[in-house]
Amino acid sequence: MDSRVLVIEDEIQIRRILKNALTDEGCHVSEAGTVKEGLRLVGTTHPELILLDLGLPDGDGIGFIEEVRGWSDIPILILSARFDEKDKIAGLNAGADDYLTKPFGVGELIARIRALLRRKPRLEDEISPVVQFGHCSVDFSTREVLRAGEEIHLTPIEYKLLTVMLSRPDKVMTQTHILKTVWGDSYAESTHYLRIYMSHLRQKLEDNPSQPKHFLTEIGVGYRFKE
Amino acid sequence: MKSGFPLADRFSPMQRYFLTAIFCVITAFVLTFFADDLDHANIVMPLLLVVLLVSVSLGRDCAVFSAVLCVSLFDYLFVPPRFSFAVNDPQYLVTFFVMLVVAFTTAHMASGLKQAAADASKREEVTQALYKVAKDLAGALTGTQVNDIISKFILEQTASKSWIIETQDNKIVNDDMTKGSPFSIESHMATVALREQRTVNSSALNGADWASLYMPLSTSMRTYGVLSVSNIENPRISLKMIEALASLIAITLERLHYVQVAHKTELEIMSERLRSSILSALSHDIRTPLTVLVGLADSLSMVKPSLPQQALETSAAITQQAMRLTNLVSNLLEMARLNSGEVKLRFEWHHLQDVVAASLQHLNLALLDHQVISNIPSNLPLLEIDAVLMERVVSNLVENAAKYSPKGSRIEIGVIEHQKDIEIYVLDQGPGFEATKIKEVFSLFVRGEKESNKPGFGVGLAISQVIVKAHRGNIYAENSIDGGGSVHVLLPKGTPPVLEQEGFA
Repeated sequence: MDSRVLVIEDEIQIRRILKNALTDEGCHVSEAGTVKEGLRLVGTTHPELILLDLGLPDGDGIGFIEEVRGWSDIPILILSARFDEKDKIAGLNAGADDYLTKPFGVGELIARIRALLRRKPRLEDEISPVVQFGHCSVDFSTREVLRAGEEIHLTPIEYKLLTVMLSRPDKVMTQTHILKTVWGDSYAESTHYLRIYMSHLRQKLEDNPSQPKHFLTEIGVGYRFKE
Repeated sequence: MKSGFPLADRFSPMQRYFLTAIFCVITAFVLTFFADDLDHANIVMPLLLVVLLVSVSLGRDCAVFSAVLCVSLFDYLFVPPRFSFAVNDPQYLVTFFVMLVVAFTTAHMASGLKQAAADASKREEVTQALYKVAKDLAGALTGTQVNDIISKFILEQTASKSWIIETQDNKIVNDDMTKGSPFSIESHMATVALREQRTVNSSALNGADWASLYMPLSTSMRTYGVLSVSNIENPRISLKMIEALASLIAITLERLHYVQVAHKTELEIMSERLRSSILSALSHDIRTPLTVLVGLADSLSMVKPSLPQQALETSAAITQQAMRLTNLVSNLLEMARLNSGEVKLRFEWHHLQDVVAASLQHLNLALLDHQVISNIPSNLPLLEIDAVLMERVVSNLVENAAKYSPKGSRIEIGVIEHQKDIEIYVLDQGPGFEATKIKEVFSLFVRGEKESNKPGFGVGLAISQVIVKAHRGNIYAENSIDGGGSVHVLLPKGTPPVLEQEGFA
């Protein structure tokens, strides 16, 4: 990983660990302890990924995300020490890509960062209309869904939900976001639709629906698709 | 008693009759000088005027007396034959009759008018007093003040003592409520007034030492007390007035009640805000060093060149223990939050598959040494639960099973749909629960094994019980016949929302 990463975290000890781990991975790390400093560094160092602690001394991380999202879609990974899901949802709705709850293992952190950096669209690559995961493959040009070589029939809504999930692998999508995208704004609160259709998708596409490998639940927050 | 006649009050009855007589006689005497010049009809007029004046100033009895007297004087002094009661011309009988009727009627009407005026001014006084009481009540800040204002008013208006009996939840709480009252209270009658919402008045309880009138103080919302009044001997105000007063008191007490409620709510909001900010700060403060700890241990394992095997194992153990501590802290904080009793659960319709999947994902590390089998039907109905909390329950149960059963053994997690509820069970191949303690395992700080060297408090099961109860469910532990323990959670099914059928285009 030869990428520029900006770490915004006020605890020096945690910042040090993050820096060491990322440097070991070959990243160029710049550090900030405040929102103000962070915003300055985003402008000067042009990071490819931002690690953001939500509880910063000079302001709230949500505001930072909104500000950055105003002109850039750099992947943002939230680090949260609070046990309230509301913060995470607010961060994700503001435009963050993923979150980790403290304490987290370094291995987990590196895996998440890799996934976020990989997602970066590369212009030279031709975007393939076929996505493969597990034993399944989805061809967006023909709307064909195969599992172990056999065609799987999906209803229009199931297919739409699948395309929304597949559109941003590894990104946590809040349930409100999914509901609005698939069903429309007036369904933002109708979480039961999402539960039922997600269980249909797992039934049809997962090897073991009760221990899913691809359509993962982020409890209280939303869902994540993992290749 | 006041009669309302200004002159009448100054004299005794004898003096009033005497005055009436003098007045009539003098008028008649003056008229005798004009007896020859004036027509008899014109002589009658001044006499009638006298009757009118007497009736206006001295009251009805004197008016009647003056009417009779004037008729007699007219007959004696003016009707021929003069100076005799004999009447020659029978037509004078008509004059007498008309004169008497006119005299009586005027007397009656005048005195009625007087009476009405007197009543009006009395009512005005009472209204003024009521108005003042209403104003005083509007400024009252405590129940005691209300009681004082009312006692004073009733004492002024009826010369009776009174007392407001406060009630709680429609009951007279105890003797303390009547302590300080100026008389004895018949609690049975007060209870009747309260229960039947009507005025209870007993003439049997005479004397100033007993309250004889009991009136419920109710608004449309609820009853705030009972007004008790001692025997009213000299009522200037009617029972209706006291009833009006009672509703005035009730409204005041209601206002005080809501002021109190508003104040309490404000306090609760503040303490709730404080509590959640303390918990949040605590969570942050504990998680930060734990994050550092896990991070440091992890970075040890990533040092290049690699550390010796023993050091790697140590760093892995540190990570694992720190993660366990995190779980424990989360459980404790969640317990504190739930026990504060003010937590609103975020109920939404969920698929249990999501919950189980999330907790297995979450426990990933802790379950590496076990074989986990999940057995969840795909056509389960949705359940209305707080998924974050229910995930904690499932995680706790599975983690417990892993902790108390041997490495490599099987842990089964399953869901069964019953008629009225849905059961989640976690089954392990460990030693099971101690038979005598099987009911206690959900109490805080009871562990499966005595002097156990296994880590963890009983917090996991205790919080699980709290969460399940908050979902109106049930949780119990069992030992299976073929060894191993199991914990079962029963959650009521409810009525899931209906999904619009998708049109197949």
